[in-house]
Amino acid sequence: MAAIEAHELCRTYKTHTGTFRRRTKEVEAVRGVSFTIEPGELFGLLGPNGAGKTTTIKMLITLLIPTAGSARVLGLDVVKDAREVRKRIGYVFGGERGVYERLSGYDNLRYFAELYGVPPKLQKPRIEELLELVGLKGREHERAEGYSRGMKQRLHVARGLLHDPEVLFLDEPTIGLDPVGARELRSTIASLTAAGKTILLTTHYMFEADALCDRIAVISKGSIVAEGTPADLKRGVGQGSVLEVEVYGVDEETIEQVRRLGGVLAVSVEEREQAQVLVVQTQAEVELTSAILGHLNGGQVGRISQREPTLEDAYVALVTEE
Amino acid sequence: MIVAARIFVVGGLTSFRALFYWLTPWIYVPTMLVAPIFQILLFAYIGRSAGLESDEFYLIGNALQYAAIPCLFAMAQMVGGERYQNTLSAILVSPAPRIPLFFGRSLPVLLNGAFVAAFSLLVGALVLGVHLPASSLAPLGLVVLIAAFSCTGLGLVNAAASLRIRENAVLSNVIFGFLLIFTGANVPLDDLPSWISTAAQGMPFTHAIKAARELAAGASLGDVRGLLGAELLVGAIYGVAGYSLLRWFEVLSRRYATLERS
Repeated sequence: MAAIEAHELCRTYKTHTGTFRRRTKEVEAVRGVSFTIEPGELFGLLGPNGAGKTTTIKMLITLLIPTAGSARVLGLDVVKDAREVRKRIGYVFGGERGVYERLSGYDNLRYFAELYGVPPKLQKPRIEELLELVGLKGREHERAEGYSRGMKQRLHVARGLLHDPEVLFLDEPTIGLDPVGARELRSTIASLTAAGKTILLTTHYMFEADALCDRIAVISKGSIVAEGTPADLKRGVGQGSVLEVEVYGVDEETIEQVRRLGGVLAVSVEEREQAQVLVVQTQAEVELTSAILGHLNGGQVGRISQREPTLEDAYVALVTEE
Repeated sequence: MIVAARIFVVGGLTSFRALFYWLTPWIYVPTMLVAPIFQILLFAYIGRSAGLESDEFYLIGNALQYAAIPCLFAMAQMVGGERYQNTLSAILVSPAPRIPLFFGRSLPVLLNGAFVAAFSLLVGALVLGVHLPASSLAPLGLVVLIAAFSCTGLGLVNAAASLRIRENAVLSNVIFGFLLIFTGANVPLDDLPSWISTAAQGMPFTHAIKAARELAAGASLGDVRGLLGAELLVGAIYGVAGYSLLRWFEVLSRRYATLERS
């Protein structure tokens, strides 16, 4: 039995504008998403903002009812068996909100231990164990309002693990964390997989997905555009190469002209301090340096380099495809 | 069963501490203990200058009616505060049984409402020099508790509305003003337009205020049991309606994704 199965999941939202003349607009946030996650697997769901990652997770954790399609967690239907699903899953979301600011970290965990029916005798040792795991030991009796963002995030993780769930949903858990905090959290996630937990992780960070995930699905505009191991996805663009051109001010029109060049797979722009870097993915054995520089004629150009594609390049190519 | 009982008692108290921002002396004392005395004095002095009802009439009416502030606002905060802190989804995704979850949150609110009303009644009596017979104090305590119960029921409806609207403080203020008129706290029901005195029968406080005035005038608890029964019934109806609305809105929030939107 698969740990998580999503079959043609769809979710449409209605948004309203105006007060007296209300206009309704339908937004298709998720359009037919399907995937299967095996027990003990760490599955990554990657995609840009608004791609449908969180909406997909919300359907799987029973917070939203799909408008079409179905999903099962540990064989239980997320709509019909919502309460049974809730007993078996943990949900951790990123960001510093979502904790009771007036309560201590310890009381936050104790409250959720009650909601998840953790027996009173087990609550204390379980909370102590989790505080140790997420590195909050010694600060647990302070009010959460005084915690740093990273501490609140780690409190989220501890809360999601209170009832020792079989399946864990982590929605961008390292977002906004400093590098040390993010690394510690990644090592916690890795230890959870080692302990046999099934994890669905959403993240923006490619290196994180590359380092942690057994398999990855890339979601763009509500649909899955690629699925496979990190190595599979890299192979997808592995035949090409990446040209990076440092520029100082490049407009949309120029980017579009570069994008239209024959042999170009994807173009993105990264901000690096005062400069921008035009990242152009090209097909193998296509030399486009002079053509690209021709389009940048008149603009100030810095360093130019060529390299092998990374998972991030694979991701950019996938999510920028029309 | 034990899990449900613990969610009701321990969970209820913990969520009250988590969400009830008035739990600091700097806010609690002025809003919960001083403001009701001002309200009592305002109406008592208006009554005196206009030669209307006795001080006792305004004392009892306003002391009991002021329980609406903690009961309505704290119950609205029960859901609105969760939305504000982004903790509502974590609560709703838990398998916690909803009856103890929601009603457990009502218990500390009810007790706090009763305390505020009892404090206002006793301090208001001292300030205005109203004599309450010693034999009426225990029955009055029971009336205060029942009044807080029925208003907490209405507060549960208010909490449910907070699942759909963000401006729950505005709504709570409107309901508070409504109760000031519709419960006979400051104007005898017979002097109000007939439709208001009819509507008052379905409001929290109406029967409790009447019972308290009769007790202060020397009636026994047995004499007012009908009024107390009616007050309990009103509270129970609002409580059931509030819980049903909460469950219904919870289902709608899953269907229409309204949990984090208004």
